[in-house]
Amino acid sequence: MTDGGIVRAVDGVSFDLYPGESLGIVGESGSGKSMTALSILRLIPEPGRIVSGQVLFHDHDLLQLTGEEIREIRGRDIAMIFQDPQSSLNPVLRTGFQVDEAMLAHGKSKVEARERTLELLKRVRIPAPQSRYRDFPHQLSGGMRQRAMIAMGLANAPAILIADEPTTALDVTVQAQILELLADLNRELGTAIVMITHNMGVVAGLCTRVLVMYAGEIVEQGPVEQIFENPQHPYTWSLLRSIPRVDALRHERLRSIEGIAPDLLRPPSGCRFHPRCPFRIEKCFTDEPRLESVGADQKAACWVTMDRARSEMGADKLVDIRPGAASGVHPGEML
Amino acid sequence: MATAVAAIARPIQFEQASLWSDAWRRLRRNRLALVATIYLAVLVAVALVSTVWTPYRMSAIGVTQTYAPPSAAHLLGADELGRDILSRLMVGAQVSIVVGVGTQVLVLIVGVPIGLLAGYYKGWLDSVISFVINVFYGIPDILVAMILVFLLGPSLRNIIISIVVTRWMDMARLVRGQALSLREREFVEAGRAAGARPVKMLFGHILPNALGPIIVQATFGIPAAILFEAFLSFLGVGVQPPTPSWGSMANEGVASIQYAPHMVIAPSIALSLTLMAFNFLGDGLRDALDPRTRR
Repeated sequence: MTDGGIVRAVDGVSFDLYPGESLGIVGESGSGKSMTALSILRLIPEPGRIVSGQVLFHDHDLLQLTGEEIREIRGRDIAMIFQDPQSSLNPVLRTGFQVDEAMLAHGKSKVEARERTLELLKRVRIPAPQSRYRDFPHQLSGGMRQRAMIAMGLANAPAILIADEPTTALDVTVQAQILELLADLNRELGTAIVMITHNMGVVAGLCTRVLVMYAGEIVEQGPVEQIFENPQHPYTWSLLRSIPRVDALRHERLRSIEGIAPDLLRPPSGCRFHPRCPFRIEKCFTDEPRLESVGADQKAACWVTMDRARSEMGADKLVDIRPGAASGVHPGEML
Repeated sequence: MATAVAAIARPIQFEQASLWSDAWRRLRRNRLALVATIYLAVLVAVALVSTVWTPYRMSAIGVTQTYAPPSAAHLLGADELGRDILSRLMVGAQVSIVVGVGTQVLVLIVGVPIGLLAGYYKGWLDSVISFVINVFYGIPDILVAMILVFLLGPSLRNIIISIVVTRWMDMARLVRGQALSLREREFVEAGRAAGARPVKMLFGHILPNALGPIIVQATFGIPAAILFEAFLSFLGVGVQPPTPSWGSMANEGVASIQYAPHMVIAPSIALSLTLMAFNFLGDGLRDALDPRTRR
């Protein structure tokens, strides 16, 4: 809800997460990925709220729990790490102590917590954990801070670790290290990871399954290889095409998805992607597509889907989808 | 070039500097604040000494002539009953310090939790608390404090209580503002995501981050309370005789200001110096604890 009215930031999003799995949620800014993650733990910032829905965890609906019950779940069963490790750590408390606290909040003794913190700091490959324990956050590097955050997230050996763009604030080499660490932890500890990102590369490197979100809705979901090999939703297809490639021809321009994300105060009618979609048909303007099976384990919400776009609209020949560029799909039509 | 080398040569020491040692280092560099700190330390020492020893018994009447001007035996002279003013001034320091520090301790106990609750939870709780704060701001503090002292009886404890009743709002409002801004910081969200209890969030995460402004506010609150007490005592509703307060001593001296001005001057100067010292210390602390003025 805003002063301008009600925004349905996330609408009709439904997905399953299996033990030990790593699920990617991708989408551009404002597509509702973070809100989806925050609503799992009921951490939606004011004045937002969850109007309806269910979050089932071991057959319990997290949305029905009391404040104290959900507090117990947070950090113990489902932990979360955030985008900016600089601001996610309390600047006036010692780093190690903050990791301790994650355990103290869930009934461990001080001594136990301290011991496990040192273990965890070692586990997330922070060098010299003994002295880092006593450091304040500002004395650590960005990568180290994020490692400390991950240690905090893992403190109570949660079943699920939600990572909200954990590498966005870090430089590229550190990003790779953090992703590698998360992959290792996922494999070795069996912690299920929900990776929220706008970076397809991150998903490819870490996740087994992926949800693609657009304007608050899931537009496509399925196993990572399948989605990358054969995306069925035009939005996914466009996203994948817009990844810069090292092997791209020199003169080729970086492709972008034309248009801007819709204003959720006034979402477009029909399919929410239709104003930006190069393959839209009449129906897209009026009817909203549902997620339907488009392959083994793969679902997409699209009236056209890429298979049809390829066979009937020559999608593979489509070079530039910018209006005015010679795309041939919608000649003369401005978005 | 030389500075660059020096900075590289001792990076460890700089890194080890914690928030507080850093603040202390900056405070010491502020001359005025340092002098104020020394003055206040001496004042506290004098007050402590006066509990066991004063040059003369502070309530002993007629140790010298009435209205005796300052002399070698009585450095600050004597009052209308021939009591030694220096001795009374020393005991008066106790009153001032107890009132100043005592009210601020109570103000902290009352104002900080209220401010934290209002700022952290917002919503109707904040509306109610803010309303109450505004109501208290609306009442005339001297009048209410006087009425309270009348009702409760004029003792040191009751004076402290009535000052707290009329002066707790600044602290509550300051803490509310701090909490209001800190609650939006990401580490608060991260703490909640880690399952921290609300009490832990308030006192373990928000409060430590607001400590700087709180300390400064309390430091400025002390002289305000001392002045308030002196004022009440000057009006005659403060500390009761024979316990001397700087305010009541000044009051006693006013009647004879024509021929024994030292009776007003001595407590007034003590009061002014003390108020100034606390204010300079508060200024120094504000600069020292504000990371934006990091030098």
